[in-house]
Amino acid sequence: MRRMLRLFLPLTVVAGTLVTAMIAAPPNFGVQAPNTVAEATAMLQKTAVIAALLAVWMIAAVALTLLSGREIRYSSVEMRASALHCFALGLVAVTSFALTAIVFCYLIPYHVGLPLLFALGVFAILTKIYGLVAVFHAIGTLVAGSRTREQLQRRNWLRGDLAMVVIGVLVLGALRLIPIVGPIIWGFASVFGIGTALATKFGRREPWFLAYRLHLS
Amino acid sequence: MTKEACQRYLEDPEANAAHLQTCAECRAVSAALAEKNDVKPASIDLNALPLAPWEGSSYRPWPLVLGITAVVVAVALALCDAAGLSPLHVAESSLTSMEAIRGLIDRATASLRGASLVWQIAFGVAFLLVNALLIVLLRRSPRGIDA
Repeated sequence: MRRMLRLFLPLTVVAGTLVTAMIAAPPNFGVQAPNTVAEATAMLQKTAVIAALLAVWMIAAVALTLLSGREIRYSSVEMRASALHCFALGLVAVTSFALTAIVFCYLIPYHVGLPLLFALGVFAILTKIYGLVAVFHAIGTLVAGSRTREQLQRRNWLRGDLAMVVIGVLVLGALRLIPIVGPIIWGFASVFGIGTALATKFGRREPWFLAYRLHLS
Repeated sequence: MTKEACQRYLEDPEANAAHLQTCAECRAVSAALAEKNDVKPASIDLNALPLAPWEGSSYRPWPLVLGITAVVVAVALALCDAAGLSPLHVAESSLTSMEAIRGLIDRATASLRGASLVWQIAFGVAFLLVNALLIVLLRRSPRGIDA
Protein backbone atom coordinates (compact mmCIF):
# COMPACT_ATOMS: atom_id res chain seq x y z
CA MET A 1 0.00 0.00 0.00
CA ARG A 2 2.81 2.38 0.94
CA ARG A 3 4.72 1.55 -2.23
CA MET A 4 1.60 2.24 -4.25
CA LEU A 5 1.12 5.56 -2.46
CA ARG A 6 4.75 6.52 -3.07
CA LEU A 7 4.28 5.87 -6.76
CA PHE A 8 0.83 7.39 -6.92
CA LEU A 9 1.55 10.63 -5.07
CA PRO A 10 4.16 12.04 -7.49
CA LEU A 11 1.98 10.97 -10.42
CA THR A 12 -1.00 12.75 -8.86
CA VAL A 13 1.07 15.86 -8.29
CA VAL A 14 2.35 15.94 -11.86
CA ALA A 15 -1.08 15.28 -13.36
CA GLY A 16 -2.77 17.74 -11.03
CA THR A 17 -0.17 20.41 -11.73
CA LEU A 18 -0.67 20.00 -15.47
CA VAL A 19 -4.45 20.20 -15.14
CA THR A 20 -4.21 23.22 -12.82
CA ALA A 21 -1.79 24.95 -15.18
CA MET A 22 -4.09 24.27 -18.15
CA ILE A 23 -7.08 25.66 -16.27
CA ALA A 24 -5.30 28.60 -14.68
CA ALA A 25 -3.10 29.70 -17.58
CA PRO A 26 -4.70 32.37 -19.74
CA PRO A 27 -4.70 31.73 -23.50
CA ASN A 28 -2.56 34.80 -24.22
CA PHE A 29 0.68 34.99 -22.23
CA GLY A 30 1.85 38.34 -23.62
CA VAL A 31 2.00 41.15 -21.07
CA GLN A 32 0.45 44.19 -22.67
CA ALA A 33 0.71 47.74 -21.44
CA PRO A 34 -2.58 49.68 -21.49
CA ASN A 35 -2.99 51.60 -24.74
CA THR A 36 -6.10 53.62 -23.96
CA VAL A 37 -7.42 55.50 -20.94
CA ALA A 38 -10.17 52.93 -20.52
CA GLU A 39 -7.63 50.08 -20.37
CA ALA A 40 -5.53 51.98 -17.85
CA THR A 41 -8.63 52.62 -15.70
CA ALA A 42 -9.58 48.95 -15.85
CA MET A 43 -6.05 47.95 -14.80
CA LEU A 44 -6.13 50.43 -11.90
CA GLN A 45 -9.52 49.13 -10.82
CA LYS A 46 -8.26 45.56 -10.92
CA THR A 47 -5.23 46.50 -8.81
CA ALA A 48 -7.46 48.36 -6.35
CA VAL A 49 -9.74 45.34 -5.95
CA ILE A 50 -6.73 43.06 -5.34
CA ALA A 51 -5.27 45.49 -2.80
CA ALA A 52 -8.61 45.77 -0.99
CA LEU A 53 -8.93 42.00 -0.83
CA LEU A 54 -5.36 41.79 0.49
CA ALA A 55 -6.28 44.23 3.26
CA VAL A 56 -9.25 42.01 4.15
CA TRP A 57 -6.95 38.97 4.12
CA MET A 58 -4.52 40.80 6.42
CA ILE A 59 -7.24 41.58 8.97
CA ALA A 60 -8.66 38.04 8.76
CA ALA A 61 -5.18 36.51 9.16
CA VAL A 62 -4.38 38.60 12.23
CA ALA A 63 -7.75 37.78 13.80
CA LEU A 64 -7.44 34.05 13.13
CA THR A 65 -3.87 33.94 14.45
CA LEU A 66 -4.98 35.69 17.62
CA LEU A 67 -7.82 33.21 18.06
CA SER A 68 -5.88 29.99 17.31
CA GLY A 69 -2.19 30.69 16.90
CA ARG A 70 -1.08 27.25 18.04
CA GLU A 71 -3.22 25.47 15.44
CA ILE A 72 -1.96 27.75 12.67
CA ARG A 73 1.62 27.03 13.76
CA TYR A 74 1.04 23.26 13.75
CA SER A 75 -0.38 23.45 10.24
CA SER A 76 2.52 25.62 9.08
CA VAL A 77 5.06 23.15 10.50
CA GLU A 78 3.24 20.28 8.82
CA MET A 79 3.28 22.05 5.48
CA ARG A 80 7.03 22.64 5.68
CA ALA A 81 7.67 19.06 6.87
CA SER A 82 5.63 17.27 4.20
CA ALA A 83 4.91 19.72 1.42
CA LEU A 84 4.33 17.12 -1.28
CA HIS A 85 1.68 15.33 0.75
CA CYS A 86 -0.10 18.61 1.51
CA PHE A 87 -0.05 19.63 -2.16
CA ALA A 88 -1.34 16.26 -3.36
CA LEU A 89 -4.04 16.28 -0.70
CA GLY A 90 -5.01 19.83 -1.69
CA LEU A 91 -5.33 18.88 -5.38
CA VAL A 92 -7.43 15.82 -4.56
CA ALA A 93 -9.57 17.83 -2.11
CA VAL A 94 -10.26 20.61 -4.65
CA THR A 95 -11.24 17.99 -7.24
CA SER A 96 -13.41 16.26 -4.67
CA PHE A 97 -15.11 19.57 -3.74
CA ALA A 98 -15.89 20.25 -7.40
CA LEU A 99 -17.25 16.75 -8.11
CA THR A 100 -19.25 16.72 -4.86
CA ALA A 101 -20.71 20.14 -5.70
CA ILE A 102 -21.86 18.78 -9.09
CA VAL A 103 -23.45 15.77 -7.35
CA PHE A 104 -25.21 18.04 -4.83
CA CYS A 105 -26.39 20.29 -7.69
CA TYR A 106 -27.75 17.15 -9.32
CA LEU A 107 -29.75 16.50 -6.12
CA ILE A 108 -31.32 19.99 -5.91
CA PRO A 109 -34.67 18.84 -7.42
CA TYR A 110 -34.89 16.26 -4.62
CA HIS A 111 -34.76 19.01 -1.93
CA VAL A 112 -31.65 17.65 -0.19
CA GLY A 113 -29.20 19.18 -2.64
CA LEU A 114 -29.46 22.80 -1.60
CA PRO A 115 -28.59 22.46 2.12
CA LEU A 116 -25.83 20.01 1.26
CA LEU A 117 -24.45 22.39 -1.35
CA PHE A 118 -24.58 25.26 1.15
CA ALA A 119 -22.77 23.18 3.79
CA LEU A 120 -20.12 22.15 1.26
CA GLY A 121 -19.60 25.77 0.20
CA VAL A 122 -19.20 26.95 3.80
CA PHE A 123 -16.78 24.11 4.57
CA ALA A 124 -14.73 24.81 1.44
CA ILE A 125 -14.52 28.55 2.17
CA LEU A 126 -13.53 27.97 5.82
CA THR A 127 -10.91 25.42 4.73
CA LYS A 128 -9.46 27.86 2.21
CA ILE A 129 -9.34 30.75 4.71
CA TYR A 130 -7.70 28.65 7.43
CA GLY A 131 -5.31 27.02 4.99
CA LEU A 132 -4.18 30.28 3.41
CA VAL A 133 -3.45 31.75 6.84
CA ALA A 134 -1.30 28.67 7.54
CA VAL A 135 0.45 29.28 4.20
CA PHE A 136 1.05 32.92 5.23
CA HIS A 137 2.65 31.67 8.45
CA ALA A 138 4.83 29.16 6.60
CA ILE A 139 6.00 31.73 4.06
CA GLY A 140 6.66 34.30 6.78
CA THR A 141 8.68 31.77 8.77
CA LEU A 142 10.66 30.73 5.69
CA VAL A 143 11.42 34.33 4.76
CA ALA A 144 11.85 36.03 8.12
CA GLY A 145 11.88 33.28 10.77
CA SER A 146 14.71 33.07 13.29
CA ARG A 147 17.30 30.41 12.51
CA THR A 148 19.11 30.38 15.86
CA ARG A 149 18.25 31.08 19.48
CA GLU A 150 20.59 34.09 19.63
CA GLN A 151 18.92 35.58 16.57
CA LEU A 152 15.52 35.09 18.22
CA GLN A 153 16.66 36.79 21.41
CA ARG A 154 18.19 39.73 19.54
CA ARG A 155 14.95 40.50 17.70
CA ASN A 156 12.50 42.91 19.23
CA TRP A 157 9.68 42.86 16.71
CA LEU A 158 10.28 40.26 14.04
CA ARG A 159 9.31 37.18 16.05
CA GLY A 160 6.16 35.37 17.07
CA ASP A 161 3.26 33.89 15.10
CA LEU A 162 1.58 37.24 14.41
CA ALA A 163 4.69 38.76 12.85
CA MET A 164 5.28 35.68 10.67
CA VAL A 165 1.68 35.74 9.42
CA VAL A 166 1.86 39.46 8.61
CA ILE A 167 5.15 39.01 6.72
CA GLY A 168 3.62 36.09 4.84
CA VAL A 169 0.61 38.18 3.78
CA LEU A 170 2.95 40.92 2.59
CA VAL A 171 5.12 38.54 0.53
CA LEU A 172 2.26 36.56 -1.01
CA GLY A 173 0.25 39.75 -1.53
CA ALA A 174 3.14 41.35 -3.41
CA LEU A 175 3.39 38.25 -5.61
CA ARG A 176 -0.39 38.35 -6.13
CA LEU A 177 -0.11 41.81 -7.68
CA ILE A 178 2.11 40.51 -10.53
CA PRO A 179 -0.03 40.06 -13.65
CA ILE A 180 -0.60 36.52 -14.94
CA VAL A 181 1.88 34.91 -12.52
CA GLY A 182 0.22 36.33 -9.39
CA PRO A 183 -3.13 34.54 -9.66
CA ILE A 184 -1.38 31.26 -10.48
CA ILE A 185 0.87 31.57 -7.41
CA TRP A 186 -2.17 32.46 -5.29
CA GLY A 187 -4.01 29.43 -6.69
CA PHE A 188 -1.10 27.13 -5.84
CA ALA A 189 -0.97 28.64 -2.34
CA SER A 190 -4.70 27.94 -1.97
CA VAL A 191 -4.19 24.31 -3.00
CA PHE A 192 -1.33 24.00 -0.48
CA GLY A 193 -3.47 25.64 2.18
CA ILE A 194 -6.50 23.41 1.65
CA GLY A 195 -4.24 20.35 1.76
CA THR A 196 -2.54 21.52 4.96
CA ALA A 197 -5.83 22.35 6.67
CA LEU A 198 -7.21 18.92 5.89
CA ALA A 199 -3.95 17.04 6.65
CA THR A 200 -3.79 18.48 10.17
CA LYS A 201 -7.57 18.65 10.71
CA PHE A 202 -7.37 22.41 11.09
CA GLY A 203 -4.28 22.24 13.29
CA ARG A 204 -5.84 19.87 15.83
CA ARG A 205 -3.66 16.93 14.70
CA GLU A 206 -6.46 14.44 15.34
CA PRO A 207 -7.34 11.52 13.07
CA TRP A 208 -10.28 12.10 10.72
CA PHE A 209 -11.52 8.52 11.04
CA LEU A 210 -11.82 6.18 13.99
CA ALA A 211 -9.54 3.14 14.00
CA TYR A 212 -11.53 -0.05 14.41
CA ARG A 213 -9.89 -2.79 16.45
CA LEU A 214 -11.20 -6.30 16.86
CA HIS A 215 -11.23 -7.39 20.50
CA LEU A 216 -10.81 -11.16 20.79
CA SER A 217 -11.28 -11.91 24.45
CA MET B 1 16.46 -7.98 61.72
CA THR B 2 12.69 -8.25 61.54
CA LYS B 3 10.88 -7.71 58.28
CA GLU B 4 8.58 -5.16 59.92
CA ALA B 5 11.54 -2.92 60.76
CA CYS B 6 12.83 -3.17 57.19
CA GLN B 7 9.35 -2.35 55.88
CA ARG B 8 9.13 0.70 58.17
CA TYR B 9 12.55 1.88 56.97
CA LEU B 10 11.61 1.47 53.28
CA GLU B 11 8.38 3.39 53.81
CA ASP B 12 10.07 6.32 55.54
CA PRO B 13 13.90 6.19 55.33
CA GLU B 14 14.49 9.56 56.96
CA ALA B 15 12.44 8.88 60.08
CA ASN B 16 13.96 5.41 60.51
CA ALA B 17 17.58 6.24 59.66
CA ALA B 18 18.85 4.40 62.74
CA HIS B 19 17.69 1.12 61.21
CA LEU B 20 20.62 1.19 58.77
CA GLN B 21 23.10 0.67 61.62
CA THR B 22 21.49 -2.62 62.61
CA CYS B 23 20.44 -4.11 59.23
CA ALA B 24 23.13 -5.08 56.68
CA GLU B 25 20.59 -5.89 53.97
CA CYS B 26 19.00 -2.44 54.03
CA ARG B 27 22.43 -0.85 54.24
CA ALA B 28 23.43 -2.62 51.01
CA VAL B 29 20.21 -1.50 49.26
CA SER B 30 20.75 2.06 50.44
CA ALA B 31 24.36 2.07 49.24
CA ALA B 32 23.36 0.74 45.83
CA LEU B 33 20.70 3.44 45.47
CA ALA B 34 23.17 6.14 46.49
CA GLU B 35 25.62 4.90 43.87
CA LYS B 36 22.94 5.06 41.21
CA ASN B 37 22.01 8.60 42.24
CA ASP B 38 25.62 9.69 41.90
CA VAL B 39 25.50 9.07 38.16
CA LYS B 40 24.86 12.48 36.66
CA PRO B 41 23.30 12.85 33.22
CA ALA B 42 25.42 14.27 30.46
CA SER B 43 25.19 18.04 30.32
CA ILE B 44 23.09 19.42 27.45
CA ASP B 45 23.99 22.61 25.65
CA LEU B 46 20.58 24.13 25.04
CA ASN B 47 21.94 26.64 22.57
CA ALA B 48 23.27 23.83 20.40
CA LEU B 49 19.78 22.34 19.98
CA PRO B 50 17.72 23.43 16.96
CA LEU B 51 15.13 26.12 17.52
CA ALA B 52 11.70 24.64 18.27
CA PRO B 53 8.73 26.11 16.37
CA TRP B 54 6.97 27.17 19.57
CA GLU B 55 9.90 29.17 20.94
CA GLY B 56 8.99 32.84 21.03
CA SER B 57 5.79 32.15 19.11
CA SER B 58 3.45 33.70 21.65
CA TYR B 59 5.19 37.07 21.37
CA ARG B 60 2.94 39.74 19.88
CA PRO B 61 4.75 42.67 18.29
CA TRP B 62 1.76 45.01 18.16
CA PRO B 63 3.58 48.05 16.70
CA LEU B 64 4.77 45.98 13.70
CA VAL B 65 1.41 44.25 13.17
CA LEU B 66 -0.74 47.36 13.54
CA GLY B 67 1.68 49.45 11.47
CA ILE B 68 1.79 47.04 8.52
CA THR B 69 -1.97 46.46 8.66
CA ALA B 70 -2.63 50.21 8.69
CA VAL B 71 -0.29 50.74 5.73
CA VAL B 72 -1.95 47.96 3.70
CA VAL B 73 -5.45 49.27 4.48
CA ALA B 74 -4.40 52.83 3.64
CA VAL B 75 -2.87 51.76 0.30
CA ALA B 76 -6.02 49.78 -0.54
CA LEU B 77 -8.28 52.73 0.32
CA ALA B 78 -6.11 55.14 -1.69
CA LEU B 79 -6.14 52.82 -4.72
CA CYS B 80 -9.91 52.36 -4.45
CA ASP B 81 -10.33 56.14 -4.21
CA ALA B 82 -8.08 56.71 -7.24
CA ALA B 83 -9.94 54.09 -9.26
CA GLY B 84 -13.31 55.49 -8.18
CA LEU B 85 -14.37 52.30 -6.44
CA SER B 86 -16.35 51.96 -3.24
CA PRO B 87 -15.87 49.10 -0.73
CA LEU B 88 -19.31 47.89 -1.83
CA HIS B 89 -17.99 47.47 -5.37
CA VAL B 90 -15.08 45.39 -4.08
CA ALA B 91 -17.49 43.12 -2.21
CA GLU B 92 -19.63 42.87 -5.34
CA SER B 93 -16.63 41.87 -7.45
CA SER B 94 -15.71 39.07 -5.04
CA LEU B 95 -19.33 37.89 -5.09
CA THR B 96 -19.22 37.98 -8.89
CA SER B 97 -16.33 35.50 -8.87
CA MET B 98 -18.38 33.24 -6.57
CA GLU B 99 -21.27 33.52 -9.02
CA ALA B 100 -18.93 32.51 -11.85
CA ILE B 101 -17.99 29.34 -9.97
CA ARG B 102 -21.68 28.67 -9.29
CA GLY B 103 -22.46 29.12 -13.00
CA LEU B 104 -19.67 26.70 -13.93
CA ILE B 105 -21.04 24.03 -11.59
CA ASP B 106 -24.59 24.62 -12.88
CA ARG B 107 -23.43 24.19 -16.47
CA ALA B 108 -21.53 21.01 -15.56
CA THR B 109 -24.63 19.62 -13.82
CA ALA B 110 -26.85 20.46 -16.79
CA SER B 111 -24.47 18.77 -19.22
CA LEU B 112 -24.27 15.73 -16.92
CA ARG B 113 -28.07 15.47 -16.88
CA GLY B 114 -28.13 15.58 -20.67
CA ALA B 115 -25.27 13.11 -21.05
CA SER B 116 -25.69 9.45 -21.92
CA LEU B 117 -25.91 6.75 -19.24
CA VAL B 118 -22.33 5.66 -19.90
CA TRP B 119 -21.01 9.16 -19.18
CA GLN B 120 -23.14 9.40 -16.03
CA ILE B 121 -21.75 6.08 -14.80
CA ALA B 122 -18.22 7.24 -15.66
CA PHE B 123 -18.82 10.40 -13.64
CA GLY B 124 -20.07 8.31 -10.72
CA VAL B 125 -16.98 6.10 -10.87
CA ALA B 126 -14.70 9.17 -11.01
CA PHE B 127 -16.55 10.67 -8.03
CA LEU B 128 -16.07 7.48 -6.01
CA LEU B 129 -12.40 7.13 -7.00
CA VAL B 130 -11.50 10.73 -6.11
CA ASN B 131 -13.25 10.54 -2.76
CA ALA B 132 -11.65 7.16 -2.00
CA LEU B 133 -8.25 8.68 -2.76
CA LEU B 134 -9.12 11.64 -0.52
CA ILE B 135 -9.96 9.26 2.34
CA VAL B 136 -6.71 7.32 1.79
CA LEU B 137 -4.70 10.56 1.94
CA LEU B 138 -6.60 11.79 5.00
CA ARG B 139 -5.79 8.61 6.92
CA ARG B 140 -2.08 9.48 7.02
CA SER B 141 -1.22 10.97 10.39
CA PRO B 142 0.50 14.38 10.43
CA ARG B 143 4.24 14.25 11.06
CA GLY B 144 5.22 17.89 11.38
CA ILE B 145 6.46 17.72 14.96
CA ASP B 146 8.08 14.30 14.64
CA ALA B 147 9.88 15.11 11.40
